[in-house]
Amino acid sequence: MKVLYSWLCDWLDEKPDFDTILNNLVKLGFSIDEINYTGSDTEGVVTAKVLKKERHPNADRLSVCEVSDGSEVYRVVCGAKNVDAGQIVPFAKVGARLGREVLKKVKIRGVESNGMICSAKEIGVGDDCDGIMVLDERTPIGIDVKEIFKPDYVFEVEITPNLGYCLSHYALSRELSIFFGYKLKEIKPFSFDRINGNYNFNIEIKTGNCLRYAGIIIKGIENKKTPLYISQRLKKIGLNPKNNLLVDVSNYVMFDIGQPTHCFDLSNIDDSIIVRMAEKGEKIKALDLNEYELSDEVMVIADNKKPLAVAGVIGGYYSSINDNTRDILIEIANFNPSSVRKASKILNVKTDSSYRFERGVDINLVDFAAYRMIELIKSLNPSSDILYYGDVKNFTVERRAIDVDVERIKSIIGMEIDKKKVDEILERMDRDYDGKKFNVPSYRMDIENLWDIAEEVAKFNGYDNISSRTTMPVERVREDKYHILKGRILNRLKVFGFNEVINYDLVSEKEIVKSGFSIDNAIKLINPLSKEYEYLRPSMLMSLLKNLRYNINRGVKSIKLVEFGSIFRKENAKPYENRRLSGLLGGMIDESEWWMEKEREIDFFYTKTSLNYMLSDFNEIKFGDKADERHIIKDLSINIYLANKRAGYFGLLNPDLLDSFDVKLKNVFYFDIDLDLLISSFKIEFHSLIKKPVPLSPFQYGVRDLSFIVDKKYSYDEIYRSFNKVEDLFEARLIDVYEGEKIETGKRSLTFRFIFSSMKKTFTDEELNSKIENIVKDLNKTFGAKLR
Amino acid sequence: MTSNEWLNELSKIEEKFEEAIKNEDVAVEEIEDLFVGRKGLLSLLLKKLGEVAVEDRKILGKKGNELKERILSYVKSRKDSFSGFKSYSFDIDITLPPKSLNNSTEHPLTITLNRIIDSFQKLGFSIEWGPLIEEDYYNFEALNFKQDHPARDMQDTFYLDLVDDKGKNYILRTHTSPVQIRSMLKYKPPLRIISPGKVFRSEAIDATHSFVFNQIEGFYVDKNVSMADLKWTLESFIKDLFGNKAMIRFSPSYFPFVEPGAQVEVSCVFCGGRDKNCRVCHGKGWIEMLGAGIIHPNVLKNCNYDPYLFSGFAFGAGIERFTMLLFGIDDLRLLYENDLRILRQIY
Repeated sequence: MKVLYSWLCDWLDEKPDFDTILNNLVKLGFSIDEINYTGSDTEGVVTAKVLKKERHPNADRLSVCEVSDGSEVYRVVCGAKNVDAGQIVPFAKVGARLGREVLKKVKIRGVESNGMICSAKEIGVGDDCDGIMVLDERTPIGIDVKEIFKPDYVFEVEITPNLGYCLSHYALSRELSIFFGYKLKEIKPFSFDRINGNYNFNIEIKTGNCLRYAGIIIKGIENKKTPLYISQRLKKIGLNPKNNLLVDVSNYVMFDIGQPTHCFDLSNIDDSIIVRMAEKGEKIKALDLNEYELSDEVMVIADNKKPLAVAGVIGGYYSSINDNTRDILIEIANFNPSSVRKASKILNVKTDSSYRFERGVDINLVDFAAYRMIELIKSLNPSSDILYYGDVKNFTVERRAIDVDVERIKSIIGMEIDKKKVDEILERMDRDYDGKKFNVPSYRMDIENLWDIAEEVAKFNGYDNISSRTTMPVERVREDKYHILKGRILNRLKVFGFNEVINYDLVSEKEIVKSGFSIDNAIKLINPLSKEYEYLRPSMLMSLLKNLRYNINRGVKSIKLVEFGSIFRKENAKPYENRRLSGLLGGMIDESEWWMEKEREIDFFYTKTSLNYMLSDFNEIKFGDKADERHIIKDLSINIYLANKRAGYFGLLNPDLLDSFDVKLKNVFYFDIDLDLLISSFKIEFHSLIKKPVPLSPFQYGVRDLSFIVDKKYSYDEIYRSFNKVEDLFEARLIDVYEGEKIETGKRSLTFRFIFSSMKKTFTDEELNSKIENIVKDLNKTFGAKLR
Repeated sequence: MTSNEWLNELSKIEEKFEEAIKNEDVAVEEIEDLFVGRKGLLSLLLKKLGEVAVEDRKILGKKGNELKERILSYVKSRKDSFSGFKSYSFDIDITLPPKSLNNSTEHPLTITLNRIIDSFQKLGFSIEWGPLIEEDYYNFEALNFKQDHPARDMQDTFYLDLVDDKGKNYILRTHTSPVQIRSMLKYKPPLRIISPGKVFRSEAIDATHSFVFNQIEGFYVDKNVSMADLKWTLESFIKDLFGNKAMIRFSPSYFPFVEPGAQVEVSCVFCGGRDKNCRVCHGKGWIEMLGAGIIHPNVLKNCNYDPYLFSGFAFGAGIERFTMLLFGIDDLRLLYENDLRILRQIY
């Protein structure tokens, strides 16, 4: 809400300086933004009347004007198109100061100019520099423009939803007065004495959502010109005054004391007001010229025949004030906050009125608003008549009382506070406070319990003064598996130069479909910001592909990405959320070429190596068979198992997928692992994370290399596993694989280095030879292998 | 050879030896060779013992061997002590560049979060995680966001095309606070928990806003927990993160699930409040960092905790904000662009 400093001060007996007001508001928790100085920054600029306008003898676009400030007539040259005789204008005499400039006497095209008629911008009261500023015709001449454009400040106050009771200048002044002791001017309620005679009109409330409805009928309104100070104030707080008293005064009272009101043209009302819920399908053309179809959750103000307004939200077009309106009905009502909120949501219309009703308007404000409305309208229209005042109350007065437990208040705030201090603030809010029971004022709908009172006490005592101390006992921290595991995995991936990325969880339909995932199982946002971010990602693949493309397009050559994130899908009409560990590898192993080495591309076995190392905290992890995934080339893929459960896979991404994502790379490897599953079997205890060393033999190893030719149908894995039964075998290391010319097609040569070790002795040549012979025999028997 | 001649030879050798060891530059191997080597002077002389008279052999032999022992012990002591290496030379341009490895990095959000986790673990806070897809109940209702209250507009919510058991659409959590409810329902007090993670708001992306961002929630429930405990905890945390000079300041604020509520500002550690044009605090000297307060009695009640027996504090903060401050990043979007040219600088 925009707030005008001078308007705030109107409600206070004294006038605290602006900085004090600001600081105090900040102490009460209001965030303040956009502070602007308003008012004229000039010296010697006065109001003057343009008496005569003639064309400049030597220039078509200029005019020569005679201007009077009441005591003298000045001849000035003016370049503005909009200048005309009869106007009241700001006039700077020679020697006047406009901002930093001092005006001098000048000759313009041969004519001497004894001053300048100013634009709004020149006198510092607006941005308008297109033509001169024309003042209200009622403005007296010869007075300093600073009298009209008084130095003032306008600022934006952020009002949180709990502070519905602060949405007016009066209300903010009231807060300042309560917490900082300023004297607040009294607000007057309406008294019925002013009503003349009997007028046949009826108000009926047919719904519990309307708590109070007061209607005032005034006839014979002739003067509908909005007073200058009202339109100026409204303009300053960012409203657009309509220069129609009946519209502007309604807004003025709302920002003055916080009660929304509405003026109807009486001639369009059929002798009664009925507040009811709309009928389904009922329609109304509103002030914004839109036609709305209503539902039975929307409350309307109606007469016998038709809806006149959407209660608390927006007025109707046909009953609205127009230039010919002379007789009016003023509505001053109070509506249930949630019902106004619902209507505002259903119609998708937000107004200053609905904003206030949603947050709760003090039920007693009706009386004060009535006084202000009538006072303002009547003072400008002394001959108008108030013919009717009806006030229908549909609520019971219920003042909440709270037992004040000072000890508990102290224990909430955590500091010693004198009971006197507690009593002081509570007395200021509740005149009937007796030191024990606090009667919540009607405007404080937010205060429900002792904690709310504690906040008021803390505010009064100053949040700054809350001490910083604790009696928290020491507490044992539970180690977190996810946190620790993530750290360990990232640590292991450092060896390979991986970079961790974090992506948005929302992706587009197109990206999901392109990646080969089902759109039917994807979870969709009902209210997405855009098509680009419409679905929760069913996999991290698309996010990572976008990262890949982004970096490739920027010349990055070596890409190894890892992301810890969640994926989502529907399962039996319920959301399924699963934390995953996924990554992408593509391009070169090293980002920079190096003069000593040949560049190497990332390949399948580089990927396998890094994943093998990454997962080495898990003894039960096994690389298994080939993976069946749409986006993966099966022949270059591996399923990863944890114990006997499939935990994930890795493999070469299908080049068509890369194409569809515009990735200009051929070989990209992707891995995707169920992190929740890893976590479930992750043993976090420090002792179980320790890898204990195997004792070494004090005797020499025996080493023998062996090359043999074997049919390709036998996998390395099968052959390797056959060595399990070889005694004293410390390690069997594959050191060469050869296929090619020298070997029969369909076969390959494998070279193993066998390392034998015993805790008891060093093997003799004969012993080693016999061990190798046995291996050869077995290889031949099981796999038909022949020595090379 | 007579005994005298032999003795004469021996003393000549001894003189020669004395002469030889005066000069340390003479290599020890040379001395060894010259005197006690296979064809050394002394070795040869000792072989000639057979030529002298039988009765003198014993005495002469003893004398000869005494000298031999002396020489050998000299040689040994020279050999045992360090006497320098031979020099080798290579013709290599050692200014040629080393291999530059890819900088392997954690994401700046992870680095920041890990540091924050460390800080709170020192204060006895344990980690809990919550789902990103939430039910209205945990995200709003149980946290004292009343139905049809404008407080619900404080957090623009994404709704999902799935319905929960209460007939409401599932949502993406708008804050990490639902973990308060989930944890309080799961554990008995006392409770000291932090909960980091992603949250979602239906807000357009710009330099300081994003529809996905990370928060960290923290709360402590016990007997007699007050705002003083809250202030101490946050002060400890902020000093841990920004150094001992950092200060915090509370001002009133509103979140439906705390009462009293506070906004927490941190003194600008970048300019100390002295720079009118400070990029970070814009001359205010304070930066808004956290929301906090005493857990609302309605929230405790919703978790079956008696608000007259137990009380608690809670706080929440955006991790991106800390990250941007710590890493000097002005634009939030940079954190989600994952530009390796940027990420690889952060290690």
